[in-house]
Amino acid sequence: MKAADFLYHRAGSVAEAVTLLDEYAGEARLLAGGQSLMPMLNMRLWRLGALIDVNQVPGLDGIEVEGQGDLEATRVGALTRYASLERSPLAASRLPLLVEMVRHIGDRQVRNRGTLGGSLVQGDPTAEMPLACLVLDARVRVESGRGGREIAMGEFYHGSYAAALEFDEMVTEIRFPRHPQHFAFSELTRRHGDFCVLSVAVTGECDSDGRWHDVRIGLGGVNDMPVLAEAASARLAGTRLADDDIREAAALTQEAIDPPSDMRATAEYRAHLVPVHVRRALQQLCSKNRAADRR
Amino acid sequence: MNEFVEAPAAPKEETWQEEGLKRRLIGTSVPRTEDERLLRGDGRFTDDVQFAHQLEMAVGRCPFPHARILSIDFSKATALEGVKHILTGAQVRELSDPLTVLRPVPGAPQLPYYALAQDRATYEGQPVVSVVATSRALAEDAIELVEIEYEPLPHVSDAIEALEEGAPLLHPQSLDSNLLASNSDRAGEPEARIEEADVVIRSRMRIGRVTPLPMEPRGVVAVWRPGARELSIHTSTQVPHLVRKQLAESLRLGEECIRVSASDVGGGFGMKLGVYPEDVLASLHAMALRRPVKWIEDRMEHFRASTHGRESIHDYCLAADAEGRFVAMTNTYTTDIGGWNSPFGSSQLSSVVFTGPYRVADAAVERRVAMTNKTPVGAYRGYGQPEVNFALEVLVDRLARRLGKDPLALREMNMLRPEDLPWTVPSGAVYDSGDYVKTLHMAAEAVDYAAHRGRPRTPRADGRILGIGLSAFVERTGYASARFLANRGSKFGAHESVTLRANRSGTIDLYTGVSSIGQSSETAFAQICAEVLGVEFDAVRVHSGDTATSPLNTGAFASRTLIAAAGALREAALPFRDKTLRLGAWALGIEPGDAVIEGREVRHRSDADKRVALADVFSRAILGQGIPHDETPGLETSAHFEPPSAAFSFGTAAAVVAVDPETGEFEVERFVMVHDCGVAVNPMIVEGQVRGALVQGLGAALGEELRYDAVTGQLLSGSMLDYAVPRAADVPPIELLHTEVPSPVTTFGVRGVGEVGTIPPGAAIANAICDALADHGVELSALPVTPESVWRALEAAKAAKKGEAA
Ligand SMILES: Cc1cc2nc3c(=O)[nH]c(=O)nc-3n(C[C@H](O)[C@H](O)[C@H](O)COP(=O)(O)OP(=O)(O)OC[C@H]3O[C@@H](n4cnc5c(N)ncnc54)[C@H](O)[C@@H]3O)c2cc1C
Repeated sequence: MKAADFLYHRAGSVAEAVTLLDEYAGEARLLAGGQSLMPMLNMRLWRLGALIDVNQVPGLDGIEVEGQGDLEATRVGALTRYASLERSPLAASRLPLLVEMVRHIGDRQVRNRGTLGGSLVQGDPTAEMPLACLVLDARVRVESGRGGREIAMGEFYHGSYAAALEFDEMVTEIRFPRHPQHFAFSELTRRHGDFCVLSVAVTGECDSDGRWHDVRIGLGGVNDMPVLAEAASARLAGTRLADDDIREAAALTQEAIDPPSDMRATAEYRAHLVPVHVRRALQQLCSKNRAADRR
Repeated sequence: MNEFVEAPAAPKEETWQEEGLKRRLIGTSVPRTEDERLLRGDGRFTDDVQFAHQLEMAVGRCPFPHARILSIDFSKATALEGVKHILTGAQVRELSDPLTVLRPVPGAPQLPYYALAQDRATYEGQPVVSVVATSRALAEDAIELVEIEYEPLPHVSDAIEALEEGAPLLHPQSLDSNLLASNSDRAGEPEARIEEADVVIRSRMRIGRVTPLPMEPRGVVAVWRPGARELSIHTSTQVPHLVRKQLAESLRLGEECIRVSASDVGGGFGMKLGVYPEDVLASLHAMALRRPVKWIEDRMEHFRASTHGRESIHDYCLAADAEGRFVAMTNTYTTDIGGWNSPFGSSQLSSVVFTGPYRVADAAVERRVAMTNKTPVGAYRGYGQPEVNFALEVLVDRLARRLGKDPLALREMNMLRPEDLPWTVPSGAVYDSGDYVKTLHMAAEAVDYAAHRGRPRTPRADGRILGIGLSAFVERTGYASARFLANRGSKFGAHESVTLRANRSGTIDLYTGVSSIGQSSETAFAQICAEVLGVEFDAVRVHSGDTATSPLNTGAFASRTLIAAAGALREAALPFRDKTLRLGAWALGIEPGDAVIEGREVRHRSDADKRVALADVFSRAILGQGIPHDETPGLETSAHFEPPSAAFSFGTAAAVVAVDPETGEFEVERFVMVHDCGVAVNPMIVEGQVRGALVQGLGAALGEELRYDAVTGQLLSGSMLDYAVPRAADVPPIELLHTEVPSPVTTFGVRGVGEVGTIPPGAAIANAICDALADHGVELSALPVTPESVWRALEAAKAAKKGEAA
């Protein structure tokens, strides 16, 4: 199918882009990588007054580090492409979980175009980037003609495909606090690079005495947005992630989920898989820690 | 008495070897002629064909599975600037006749399938209105402006439910139920044998609906020159001559007025076998507007508008004695043909090969064709054979487990031996020749089957359990004869044809109606022709797929092209060679018996100084100058050849699969295919064909599925987002092994090879999973096999065990 007619603007700055967004009062969309937007236009699932191309706006695709120690933060521009994240040595050392998860997105062509900001705003409940940003406790920087604000990832969605943005707002940057010491990721897909059946990302800190704290368990594809399994995390605080701890925590993840049934899997099957994958991800977290100790 | 008797395997009159010619080209992996243009981007697919003043067509489709069309108002669409012409059902009925069927289901009535729905549409995606405009986007805008009032009607999507009392009727004017037709074949007394049998395995086996999904969707460009009374059609088809015939019938034109050409075709897989509504529509618009009209199917349309494949439900019964000897086999199956008959109908070969490679004298099969409110089902690579292979081979393993026998030994005990062949199956078809057991052993050895059998089914270090599954098959390739086809009411022949024409450059133009659909026939035809003539491979130029230049033929389907064309090539090339030798000898002043063709010359067989260039010999022939007085000018031969019988390929596949018993997730770690296609004209092409089809078979086995919503009847997986076709990274490692038993019924001993890979993956993988989970008592009875279906089977087995314990 071919898209219906729309007007095309190429914005030269954030200010120009948000002014245009404001003028179209909800009838326009920003064009980033186009990997979700263009298929929707071509399939005529969306009809727009205008597209505002932000690909030429300077300064939106960098990775920068600021602060030291606990105050260290990494800032990633909204227009940073998946491929840039994949290849950046800085991202590899500062945001290793994000980089690992990027490799599970689509195929090479999609990763060459798609952007971090686009994925967050698109808000697919099975997508990798929203889950990574949630587990890594990122904050999203947003600009509009009315000024700027920051939204915590935990509050970034109203529902599936529904980011908590006003129509005149644009995401400019994603800000990550210091990366957790340990992390693991596991997902089930029907095919390599497909949208997932479910995904699990876990992070945590381990003291020198072998006790864990700040364990975060993020789940994708099992709710209308990525979620944190808070009760399960609480169960693990201060434990050594012994088998019993892990099994009980995994069972507690059921409270966080409300899985859908679709072509990829039924809700029942997803519900069965969640504790298994969480258990395995936590076991992986432990064994990575032990491997790190040996080194 | 059997209604449909195929000709028995005729003895081969004359073999290639007997002619005393040594093979130079047949059997060598000549690089494909087609590759150069395709790799350079010089292919010519339908969308590459552009004309001045060309317009584009878009089609508005019924969004419901079943609906009455109450009214159509296109006034707003007509008003849109750039919109040139709109057709609705009423006009189409005035201007054209319903689409004809090439391969009617025996006993089925003709259904009035017009290019646009009349008062009712019977599937989601059925064309209802078509618009031509200056661009495709504009035509789609116009479609959105056409106001169609529908009254949704009760629908039925499940083939079994469709045949039940009280199901909504699809075609009440032609049929008083949704059973389009049924046919049966039988031999011996299977019911009596089942009564006496020691073990009887019965099961309902379900095969999912899939789409053939060629890289190039369908497409058509229609150009009408009223002054010349010529309708010229470029289209993506496997059968240009048959499309010409069908278009003539629907458009009420003489065949002489229509030219159909299919240059490069980006895959067909059985789905491009004949005329579709859009071909008629583009022609009608072009004729009304006197301007070229193009329609290119987009991927979203493709999922609903092009024929689907496979969906069928098989109620199998396999009976054996205590030793495991098969004593009877029956299969009553229902195939889902969807909302209308398609040019090729639903698969017809399940009834031919349902007994597999096994010796069972008492067997019966009944085929019921059900109509449902879904996209019509047509031919798809395998045409009924992957379906019964899955059902039967899974049940053979189930029987082995029931009897506590080794599945390999059970197969071996029941397989037809070379000395049992030729063997007539209940449909009357004759398995020609082969060593089935040998392929079974080769596959087993390749995966170290014996060692695996002895090991317990315990999890490896990664928590997964390894299983091995086998699937043995016999595959019908080609058609028996025109007589056989006539018995079944088919509207096409069993022959292939070629024309060879000498040109003044000293090369040979070879004309064939077979279009290039990825099967590499241009390469294989040139190899055979050059072999027989004695010229170099690149002295033969193949021109394919144009009805204006090629002799009338049948087409590229049913793994039949080479089976029939090999004979035509030989029979056209022999007189061509003889005349070349006579003219060459005359030019050299030697006896024709002393002349040979070598490279680009005719020369004396022992006197190297006596030689004349082919360019010279051919020029003499073309001009009629410098040739013997008793020779006619020109050097051009044509031949039509019909093979005396179908040839049956065969083989065994083995899959090694690691299964996670906690989640049902699994991975195919190895897939071995042992295969025999008789004499391989080009081993590299054979390998490509087998691999390509295996990937399609693996896709259908592991994830591809067109699923319809149980309530709304709407297609749930109608895009590349939801339809899980495998990509390169998803294909497991494939190992190919070949045997080469020449077929006695074909020229050069070839057997077909285009479809075979689609057949065994489903059963081999399901059997491997059941083997891995044998201690859990898991059984699988449906394709596709997914992690979730394995998990569900595990849960069902657990529940059954609990039930037993309680
Ligand atoms: C074949 C294929 C496979 C895919 N597989 C996966 C997968 O496995 N996992 C996965 O997560 N994704 C997958 N995707 C989706 C892909 O990740 C998209 O790139 C992503 O969802 C959107 O990013 P984009 O930059 O392309 O955004 P666009 O498509 O350009 O935009 C998406 C939406 O975000 C809005 N938007 C974009 N940037 C901003 C901004 N800075 N501020 C405010 N609004 C903005 C747009 O207006 C639009 O509404 C796949 C896509 C394809 C085509």
